[in-house]
Amino acid sequence: MISQELNDQITRVGPGSEAGRVLRHYWQPALLREELAHGDKVPVNLLGERLALIRDASGIYVLATRKASADEKPTHYPNARDIVIDPDGPAYPVTERNGVIFAYMGPGDPPEFPNFDCFRAPESHVFAFKGLWQCNWLQALEIGIDPAHASFLHRFLEDEDPKESYGKQFRDSAADTNIPMTKILRDYPRPDISVDETEYGLKITALRRMENDLIHVRVTNQIFPEAICIPMSREMIITQWHVPIDDENCYWFTMFTSFRDPVNKDLMREQRLKEHALPDYAPLKNKANNYHYDPDEQARLTYTGMGLDINVHDQWAVEGMGPIQDRTQEHLGRSDVAIIRYRRMLRQAIAAVADGRFEDLPMQRGESVAQISGPLSNDSIADTSDWQMASHAADMARRSACPWDARV
Amino acid sequence: MEGRSVKDPTAAWTVIARVSDLDAKRPLLPITLASGRYVLFRDEEGELGLIGRHCPHRGADLCFGRLEDNGLRCPFHGWHFDRTGQCVEQPAEPEGSKMYTQIKVPMIPVKIVDGNILANIPEGELSQ
Repeated sequence: MISQELNDQITRVGPGSEAGRVLRHYWQPALLREELAHGDKVPVNLLGERLALIRDASGIYVLATRKASADEKPTHYPNARDIVIDPDGPAYPVTERNGVIFAYMGPGDPPEFPNFDCFRAPESHVFAFKGLWQCNWLQALEIGIDPAHASFLHRFLEDEDPKESYGKQFRDSAADTNIPMTKILRDYPRPDISVDETEYGLKITALRRMENDLIHVRVTNQIFPEAICIPMSREMIITQWHVPIDDENCYWFTMFTSFRDPVNKDLMREQRLKEHALPDYAPLKNKANNYHYDPDEQARLTYTGMGLDINVHDQWAVEGMGPIQDRTQEHLGRSDVAIIRYRRMLRQAIAAVADGRFEDLPMQRGESVAQISGPLSNDSIADTSDWQMASHAADMARRSACPWDARV
Repeated sequence: MEGRSVKDPTAAWTVIARVSDLDAKRPLLPITLASGRYVLFRDEEGELGLIGRHCPHRGADLCFGRLEDNGLRCPFHGWHFDRTGQCVEQPAEPEGSKMYTQIKVPMIPVKIVDGNILANIPEGELSQ
């Protein structure tokens, strides 16, 4: 449990707020490049500010302030012709990386981009998409740094053929075995979780001790301040930001990065457009329709009764907490160790910004940010004795066979 | 799920539902009282429980919980609660952990009278 005061401090992100000031020191995913088709002004609702992507007088894209009425809905997405720019409001620089347009809304010069796989892979090997969750960004992030929940929330009471798994999370077979990931998650629900602070955030290692002295090793990452980097399949990783629209709504922005074949973007987009409505990328299964909850399905097929798309399970978990999770009532356990470490990092960053010690912020400490690569995200199965080496070797093997330069 | 709202209870024992409202394959109803949100369910022994709707772990909505093992299980991390609101299992916590013994969600006593389910609303929450 934490105090209401602390909960407010780490969740609220509007202009001048403490966590909001930290987030503004980092590039924020603002919109997908595909949204440019909307017209010469594209609405963006970000960190409690009402903005629009436009070209300035010199033809350069900027994120300008737009005039908005107080009762606009948080994801309001007006037609280009109805957008009125407020010349007195701030305007922010933007830049694109592999289908995502990032904005810098903080003071001074924007930071360098790290050399993460999602940024350095060629365009052919990265697919980007986003989706709306109607809740505060922090609870959305926290589910992503909680390796235990996958054994429950995403439990499948039956396994499907991993060959049908393309483009979906947790549906491949694990490592180089023929065991479906869904079976490992179900059979070993009590992972041993350890957390290491890194230059980019946190490295989270979840160990599931299996029979015959084998161990399943899942390495995931928290990238400061609001992203995660996790394995999706043997071929792909996910880098996902949980970007505040305002205090009570957020978008996930995901860059799917392939270490092998070019991404089948048409298929991945089609899979996701079946689940989302444009223009605001709102999920079709949502709180208003109980996420299509089906008690019969819950009894025989999935743990939630909300279908096979694990994004919907996560969305239910975090939206069900309320617009901002009431952390004065929570009881964190050992499985929440990464969440506890993350909140400590965020509070340290809040203090650093308040003191003007910007050089103490992660990835802004004067090191060469462009040298920060990876991070390593993978699933592997190893002998208990050498799991650390085996986990590392599995990622190196994938990287050395990669058609683009994925060396770390 | 929309909670059924019980407005301005004026007696300690207040009708919150009909017994027949739970005549479903999954006998569970969200109930909203002035003091907050609850979930009403019938366990495998046929007894009723009216307990806090949000899992005390990280606040997930127990109205979508799994009715199994004579109680209600949160789909987020499998924490399991009996009809008194006592946590009886935390399957993701380390082997041997006794943390669950310290975890209880609020519980409001209920009884059945003439086909109605009555809840014993705490005195402070009655309207004057």
